[in-house]
Parts: sequence; C-alpha cells; structure tokens
Amino acid sequence: MGSPMKTLIIIPAFNEEGTLRDVILNIRAFHAQADILVVNDGSTDETGNIAREEGVLILDHPYNMGIGATVQTGFLYALTNDYEIAVQIDGDGQHPPEFVSSLLEPISGGRSNLVIGSRFLSEGGFKSTFLRKLGINYFVTLIWIFTGRRITDPTSGFRSMDRKGIALFAEDYPSDYPEVEALILAHKRGLLFEEVPVRMGHRQGGVSSIGLLSAIYYMVKVTLSISIGFFRGSKG
Amino acid sequence: MSAKLTLFTIIGSSLLLLLVLDLVRRRYLKERYALLWIVTGSLFLLLSIRTDLLHWIASLLGFLLPSNALFVLGFVFFLLIILALSVITSRLSEKNRTLTQEVVLLKKRVTDLEKSHEAGSPPGEKKD
Repeated sequence: MGSPMKTLIIIPAFNEEGTLRDVILNIRAFHAQADILVVNDGSTDETGNIAREEGVLILDHPYNMGIGATVQTGFLYALTNDYEIAVQIDGDGQHPPEFVSSLLEPISGGRSNLVIGSRFLSEGGFKSTFLRKLGINYFVTLIWIFTGRRITDPTSGFRSMDRKGIALFAEDYPSDYPEVEALILAHKRGLLFEEVPVRMGHRQGGVSSIGLLSAIYYMVKVTLSISIGFFRGSKG
Repeated sequence: MSAKLTLFTIIGSSLLLLLVLDLVRRRYLKERYALLWIVTGSLFLLLSIRTDLLHWIASLLGFLLPSNALFVLGFVFFLLIILALSVITSRLSEKNRTLTQEVVLLKKRVTDLEKSHEAGSPPGEKKD
C-alpha cells in the first residue's frame, strides 16, 4: 500500500480532566501519525486546557450538547478536512489505544466501512453487572431483529469508519445514546460493518453516564427511534 | 347551558382573543404561531354565542350537557397547540445543534487561519 491513510482520532470529552492526558499520551505512543481531535463538550473542568497543553486539535462546544452532537462535530471536522479514516475513542480511559490498530485494519483492507470494538468477542470477555448485561442483550436482540446481524457489543463507543461512514454520520447522527441507532442507520444505508475484539478497562475516572432511570430511558428511546425509523424512507 | 356560564365563556374567550391579538401587535408572538390560538379562541367564542350550534354538536357527539362538549372541544384544541409546540421545539433544537456545530467549526478555521497568518505565511501580502 502507498502512504498511510489520513486518520483522525476523535475523543469526545465532557469533564475528563482526570484521564484525558493519559488517553492522549497513550494514543500518541501507538499512533504517532494520526491526528488527535478532542471535542470538548462544554466541560467545566480543566479538560479544554489539558487538550491545549498537549497540542492536539480541539473543538470547543460553547455549552453541553450531549454525546451524539459531540461525536458528530468530530465527524463534521473529519469530513470537511478530508480525513480517510475516523476513530472514535472515549476520553475516560476505558478504551485502550493499543486496540486502535485492530479497528483500523478492516478499514484499510477495504473490508468494512465501520468497525466496532467489542469487549465481548475477546477471550475472557468483560465482567459486567447483571443489569448492564440485560440491557446489552436487549439491544443485541433489537439489532438482530432489524438487521439480521448479531452484534455482540452494540453500545460500544470504540469505533472506526471510512469516508462513507464519516459522511453518513456527519449528516445524520442521533443526539442521545446514539451508538445502537447508528448501527441501524449504517445498515439501512448499506454500509459494511464488523466487530473486532478489544479489551476494555473499567473507567479510570469520571462517573458512568448511566443510572437506572437513564437506562430505562435509553432502552425506550432507542426502541422507539428504531421502530419509527424503520418506517422512514432513507433521507436524501 | 346556563346564562351565567354562557356569559362567563363569552368573556373568557374574548379576553383570550384580545390577549393573543395584543401579543401579536406587540411582536411578542409571531402570526404563524398565533394562528392556532386565534382559531381556538374564535371557535370557543362562536360556540358560546351560538348556543344552537353547540347544542347540535353536543347531541351529535352524544354529550348530555352542551357545556361539556364546549370544554372537551377546548381541551382538544389545547392539546393540538401543545403538540404543535413540541414539534416546533424539536425543530428548533435540531437547527440549534446544526448551527452550533457550524459555529464551532468556523471558529476553529478562523483560529487556524489567524495562526498561519501570524506565522508569516499569509495568503495575501501583509499591510505595512
């Protein structure tokens, strides 16, 4: 192959001052050529300053817009600046950057438009609480119903995509709890996607964004959105 | 409907209509969004004055009391207004998101351009 593909690593970050620097340094250690973009979603802590000190690309949301809009801002940047690959990785340190290369391989090989890092495909798997497993299984079933595909880790936000994926998500990306819906969207638009095994740590800092009530909202919202979206013709 | 209640609904819907019209006059309310309110207020007023129409609707829908028909109709219209507001809010939040993202990207571009300008590789020539 010729020159390495122009790659953007997108870190959506909302109040991640405790972990962001390590995440950036780790990514740099494994992927020196890739550009790193922090999308700071209106953090009230040092997140923005840390990104600036580390000299990565940074986009600042003027207020907190939520994870969907934050990741999408990253895709929009990737689209307007002609990146060939975009990688999405959490700023809380639970996605180990050494697995970015496994996410990139199916893309650069031209096999997939979208790659999802799954914590459940790897041997040993991932220890999870009963409730979380229940929730994830629910989404696995939902995706199976609507796409016929068995995606083991549909809520994983550790992903990579090619130009086709970037263009789709820059145009249309759900605003809250976007991961599951994004898969259905990709399926509807005929994108090829696959999972690769990754190891995920438990978050090093910050708090889980999901409590019980939010989990219920998550499931209801995604179900509603997917079922209604099924009857919606593809836009544009 | 008792004469007392009729008077009450006539005054009530007239006040509502006047308030809506005044809000439009003072540009606190856009014509576009005032329309549903005006329709609702006018209908309420019409049915309060023309009780024969109200009686006809009540018997058509099977209401024992005409006043109930009036209030249920009012309720339905208010529901429609609230639903319309939810639609408007959704559209606004979508537009707001797109707009903010656009501003964020533009801001980044401006900063980048300023930096490359200061670094001495200006696209045009520097003045003085």
